[in-house]
Amino acid sequence: MSQDDRVNIALLSCGSEYAGIQAELESAAEMVNARLVYPEIDVAILDTIEMDFGLQITSPDLKLMMARTKAVAEGTARVDGVFVASCFRCAEAAIVRNEVRRYIHKYSDVPVISYSFTERTTAGTLLTRMEALTTIVRRKHLLAREHQTGLTAGIDSGSTTTKAVIMRDDKIIGCGWVPTIRVIDSAEKAFEQALQESGVKRDEIQAFGTTGYGRFLIGDHFKAKLVQEEITVNSKGAVYLANKQKGSATVIDIGGMDNKAISVEDGIPGMFTMGGICAGASGRFLEMAAKRLGVDITELGDLAIKGMQKKVEMNSYCIVFGIQSLVNSLAKGSTPEDVAAAACHSVVEQIFEQQLQEVDVKEPVILVGGSSLIEGVPKALGELLKIDILVPLNSQFIGAVGAALLASGYVGE
Amino acid sequence: MSDNAPNIITKIVVIASDSILPIDAAMAIYESENEITIKETCYGTMVSGPSDVVNRVVKKVVSMDVNHIFVKERGFLPGDDRRCRAGRGGGPRPGFHFLREEVKMLPVIGKALDDYEKHVPLEKVTHPGKLEVSQLKRIIESELAR
Amino acid sequence: MAKVFIYPTNSLILSDLVERFGHKPLAMMGKVREKITTVGIDSPPLNITPEDPKLGLKYAAVEVPAGVRGRMSLVGPLIDEAEAAIIVGDAEISFGCMGCARTNELTKYLARKKNIPIIELVYPKSEEEGREFVYSIAEFLKSLPMEEGSA
Repeated sequence: MSQDDRVNIALLSCGSEYAGIQAELESAAEMVNARLVYPEIDVAILDTIEMDFGLQITSPDLKLMMARTKAVAEGTARVDGVFVASCFRCAEAAIVRNEVRRYIHKYSDVPVISYSFTERTTAGTLLTRMEALTTIVRRKHLLAREHQTGLTAGIDSGSTTTKAVIMRDDKIIGCGWVPTIRVIDSAEKAFEQALQESGVKRDEIQAFGTTGYGRFLIGDHFKAKLVQEEITVNSKGAVYLANKQKGSATVIDIGGMDNKAISVEDGIPGMFTMGGICAGASGRFLEMAAKRLGVDITELGDLAIKGMQKKVEMNSYCIVFGIQSLVNSLAKGSTPEDVAAAACHSVVEQIFEQQLQEVDVKEPVILVGGSSLIEGVPKALGELLKIDILVPLNSQFIGAVGAALLASGYVGE
Repeated sequence: MSDNAPNIITKIVVIASDSILPIDAAMAIYESENEITIKETCYGTMVSGPSDVVNRVVKKVVSMDVNHIFVKERGFLPGDDRRCRAGRGGGPRPGFHFLREEVKMLPVIGKALDDYEKHVPLEKVTHPGKLEVSQLKRIIESELAR
Repeated sequence: MAKVFIYPTNSLILSDLVERFGHKPLAMMGKVREKITTVGIDSPPLNITPEDPKLGLKYAAVEVPAGVRGRMSLVGPLIDEAEAAIIVGDAEISFGCMGCARTNELTKYLARKKNIPIIELVYPKSEEEGREFVYSIAEFLKSLPMEEGSA
């Protein structure tokens, strides 16, 4: 990356210097060729900033955060993006953080990513966020794209499955889905399926987009125009498929090995969490449950819809102990329907406890990823959040669709 | 900084005096020692160097108008990269705003120190409390009667 | 000479008054200097590393935000050392070390809970209040023992 490519990120934070993670923030910024800056304010603004926001608070550093927000929104501080950070478990800061995002979004078009940290937050964790933020800055024109044009392909090389779609002028004309074994072979296979379904030839494709774990490898292989992390791609893909491109939305992606919860504004990610510590909160848990019930994963959802999760006692979310609970319940005479429902609830509850508490859950909630097809999962999530969950058509192809949509920005270049 | 280095400290000297100007104080410091560095800022003068020298110089400056020259220690040395706004992408040091607020109060504090020294008796200061309910009632009644 | 904890912990006025009346102010500035000159740690700007919020566990439980515990790792030892305390309660514009309201509440609470002479006031808004402010602090400081370590 050249020096010209360097972006200025305003760090609006409370507590980062004292939690011992300031150095981690600096180094994450450095890795994506960004510079952290601290907007200057007129001290008189501090007297009026609370009334300006309509939010009275007691922590001076949060007042300073609001004053700096105003400087960014009004353009007196010239920055390319904003990183908002405050302590995890601070209620006052969580309220301010949310308002800061809303304020900047209302009065400017500077992108914002926010995060709540603990002393255990590392540069690695922050890097994904900084990367997403700088991507939004550097590829703003691309992310503004609301329609897929031309003939493009998107390939999502996930940890468990590889998905491919071929799109022409806003329509999916072919798709492929295979288990991920060898990254390039699996991508080729999925793409071949999509080609066959669409009836187009490989060399007719005008642009490729890749995402997912294997994005770099298959990006090289297909000479992709767009190689992009899945937070940005999935946000865009979800609001596109759900036809909710404007305004707020929450995207929940339950993948084979990890999950993402992304708070989205006009299709652009603002705050997100990525799971991956525990398989009990992933599609893998559902696969295991289906196996123990002796049904195919595609049948698990049907079963779950008919069952009552409350009839099954689960002592753990763990993929070992939780599954054991399910097996014990079966032995005690629980119906497979109830057990299937309990499995879906278990996954959703863990996502709620571990991830959704760190993002602002704003309607509509769009559920995507392979697990969204297991009807018991959106049902359980809806019951937990007390809101209707949107599962768009082709939700399992979310990453591939997002990649094909964004890649169409390169058609004709 | 190594363990053997002299104990380097920084003090901020703030002048709130009618008789001594910040420049007089600065001159006094310049003339006194060469082991220290000083930096004049908009709210005071930073004096940095070995602790015994700094303390000696600061004491001398304060003696020029003892009740109207104030001193506090500062954690960072002047121009420390870690806090310097030029180096860290802008934004004043966190302590700056509060220092400004306190500096505004110094004339009042200085005057009070003069009075304390001269044993001027303390007058009873009344702090207005909340309005009595009975009084509020009277106000409402008189408003309604208009 | 008594060691007097001051709140706001970075106050020029309080630090000056304590020293003026012959005692030792326990203030944040000294603590910050100590921190940033620690040999072998390079974690700008304050040299606070993820280890410091853990030291703060002495003063607040693990469920208390890391920023509070990190700040407490600086201010807590000052309170531990204090032989007297002056608390001025209405400073609103202080950032950084004093920028977190929860830390500030905990700081004042721990100082009050300690069985030491303590005086609590608000910043003066007029000449009369200024006199009352300075006189009370001066009398308080004069009431503290002057001999080293006798408090």
